Amino acid sequence: MAPRPLAALTFVILLLVPLIAQDYWVDQLTRYVLFGLFAMSLSLVWGRGGMLCFGQAMFFGGGGYIMATVTLGMWGEGLTDSLLGLMIALICAAAFAALLGYFLFWGKGLSGAYLAVVTLAIAYVLEQAVKSWYALGGDNGISGVPPITFAGFEFWQTSPRYYLILGVCIVVYALLDRLVRSPFGVMLTGVRTNPDRAMYLGFNVFTIRVTAFVIGAVIAALSGALFVAVDEFASPTLIGFALSTEVLIWVALGGREMPLAAFVAAILIRIVETYLSELFGAYWILALGGLLMVSVVMLPKGLLATPFALFQSRRKLNQQ
Amino acid sequence: MLAINHLHAGYGNSQVLNDFSITVPAGEVLALMGRNGMGKTTLLKATMGLLPIAAGEIRFDDHSIVGRASHDIARLGLGYVPQGREIFDDFTVLENLRLGLMGHASNNQTLPEQIFSWFPVLRDRADQRAGSFSGGQQQMLAIARALVSGPKMLLLDEPTEGIQPSLVHDIGLRLREIARDTGLTILLVEQNVDIVRTIADQVIFMENGKAVEQVPVGAIRQDDDLLARHLTL
Amino acid sequence: MTDIAILILNTTSYILILVLVALGLVVVFGMMGVINMAHGELFMLGAYTVVVAGQMGLPFWLGALLAPLFVGAVGLLIEWMLIRHIYRRTLDTILATWGLSIVLKQAVVLFYGPSSQSVTVPIAGAVAIGDFSYPIYRLLLMTMAVMLIAGMLWLFLRSDFGLKARAVMARPDTAACLGIDTRAMYRRTFVIGAALAGFAGAIVAPLISVDPSMGLGYLIPGFISIMVGGAGALSGVLLGGGLVGATNNLLTVWLSPVLAQIAVFLLAIIIIRLRPSGLMGGRHGT
Repeated sequence: MAPRPLAALTFVILLLVPLIAQDYWVDQLTRYVLFGLFAMSLSLVWGRGGMLCFGQAMFFGGGGYIMATVTLGMWGEGLTDSLLGLMIALICAAAFAALLGYFLFWGKGLSGAYLAVVTLAIAYVLEQAVKSWYALGGDNGISGVPPITFAGFEFWQTSPRYYLILGVCIVVYALLDRLVRSPFGVMLTGVRTNPDRAMYLGFNVFTIRVTAFVIGAVIAALSGALFVAVDEFASPTLIGFALSTEVLIWVALGGREMPLAAFVAAILIRIVETYLSELFGAYWILALGGLLMVSVVMLPKGLLATPFALFQSRRKLNQQ
Repeated sequence: MLAINHLHAGYGNSQVLNDFSITVPAGEVLALMGRNGMGKTTLLKATMGLLPIAAGEIRFDDHSIVGRASHDIARLGLGYVPQGREIFDDFTVLENLRLGLMGHASNNQTLPEQIFSWFPVLRDRADQRAGSFSGGQQQMLAIARALVSGPKMLLLDEPTEGIQPSLVHDIGLRLREIARDTGLTILLVEQNVDIVRTIADQVIFMENGKAVEQVPVGAIRQDDDLLARHLTL
Repeated sequence: MTDIAILILNTTSYILILVLVALGLVVVFGMMGVINMAHGELFMLGAYTVVVAGQMGLPFWLGALLAPLFVGAVGLLIEWMLIRHIYRRTLDTILATWGLSIVLKQAVVLFYGPSSQSVTVPIAGAVAIGDFSYPIYRLLLMTMAVMLIAGMLWLFLRSDFGLKARAVMARPDTAACLGIDTRAMYRRTFVIGAALAGFAGAIVAPLISVDPSMGLGYLIPGFISIMVGGAGALSGVLLGGGLVGATNNLLTVWLSPVLAQIAVFLLAIIIIRLRPSGLMGGRHGT
């Protein structure tokens, strides 16, 4: 887990952005911050839980589509409240994740390579399914999703919306931080590093895994639901294969074991992508692929997490 | 034939071998004895290049072999019969033997007849799946496999482990016969005193990653106190 | 009657291609614990080889011969630059080769654009079988696929190379101590897998639309075939490929492509959960 001062610094910087940046960039950053939240969910499931999920976007997009359909009244005429939409999205995500987790991890659960390939197949198949689902707008998705309404306010203006989203991220990060440092977090690490030994020590590996998987799904769904309310649009790309692998890249490059590194990496990569996309286009994606290869071989802990972790050890040395 | 000087080697942070030095003269059969965990298997593995060597030198047949790939070391004429035999269970006897030759780049890929005269059971069961053999037969196969390429020296790691006593003696006699006939140098890691007495010329005792005492095999025939000191807790 | 015969033939040809793809994947996995997520891109590169050959005015068959050579060479480069650093780090190989697949795909996009290309069928015309006709090229494709599969099986199960390869797969340290150059075996196996994928892509090219993202559509069924059939024996690949290919193709015709994929995936998942190592057993008897 990243040292708390570093996290605080990151969020302070993010809080200050609207004071110095134009509305357009703050708007973009709002979306990137949500991607960062999404990346944190994968960091929990994969980095801390040891479950390499190639299809994490199914929860992101799933949460998004549920939010969209609820707030547009498709579930019921009067049930269009943002908070309701969020809650339904989170509950559905938790339920689905529990079901999926049960199936994937029960008994001699799938792990490692098999899990990766299976979740890859899930992501692939799911995308095809959503694209051909007429009610969800097929290829075109659902547009006109209403903005977030909270405590009577409609959050469509740039700055208030940004601060709301950032606030959510900070809260989730704080909770995640506590979770990782809690006894559950320790058990999760144990299950990740040596599942057999964890089992012999009496831990219920299955329950721990499913719990982490569900929490990750809920965070992903939260970020996806908020995203469609910000973007006012839900499309198959949010549930699809491409995003599933993109988030994997963000987390792998940033540092899977450190949610803060994943968070920052997602934001930075998306900033660079937007900034450079006109200039470099396909070369950028190629470079990302290359970076991924290099990072796995040489810096498996992550390009950001490795230096971030140095802060931690240095601090500890200074305190002695 | 084999000279090991001040070897330090082990697994990651735990170094098992600590300034280990021995010399095995050509044509001699040397037994390495010691309690479990003293580093006997580690030594053989490090010699064959299966483990990284932190410091020290190993010279085989006057070649320095530290840092060389295992297959290169094998091709120099150093044969290895690992602990647990490690035969290929799913392959036939013949295939196991042929694999002993295939790694060596030579045009002559026919199995020497001698192998079968030393171990007739292998000829009888040439096409049987090696996994169906008993422990003793598998051991003979493992030894034969290491011998087909005509090595100059053989490293054996506890060949009698898990084998019934009558076969132990049998294997011992054959090894002695082979050593006398071909001048093969042997480094034998063993806990079984009987086979050591049967074939070894010299015995070295190992403790905590170091070689601590060397005696001619005759000494342990008479002085069981030696064994008590080095082999029991 | 005609419809069923054509269905069976089409299914068979799909199964054969699937098995070709999966064979390349499984020997690399069995040999050095590497899961090559870029295998589909190697297949794609083979297809593009004949596309480019066609554009340069070369005959199809020359392109098809060049494909395994070119893709094999690419495989050699990949093995040297990336794969040898990650032997046996199975999970890391997934990520690293994933990055590689992105690089390969994007490289092709940069050179040839994202849209699909087509390759004209080298032998047009159909053959009369009973009272229906079936394209000659498809029959030829199946024949070549069968020969290739037989060739791979012979190579790995009967030849001396195969004996050494299987020895290295079973007990790499022991094999090395017998004088077998394991590094060279890894390299050769990877190149063979790559060349096989390249050739498969080349001969399939005239029948499909060739675009940079076509690899994934073969990679995933390939993986599923291996997981269903088991990674321990080559026979597993045949069985897995047969089951997955048949189910996919038949359901595509009877239901729809999307439903077929979902159904295949669900069936596969159930089989894997019941028999985690696949129907014929996993790597090294796991």
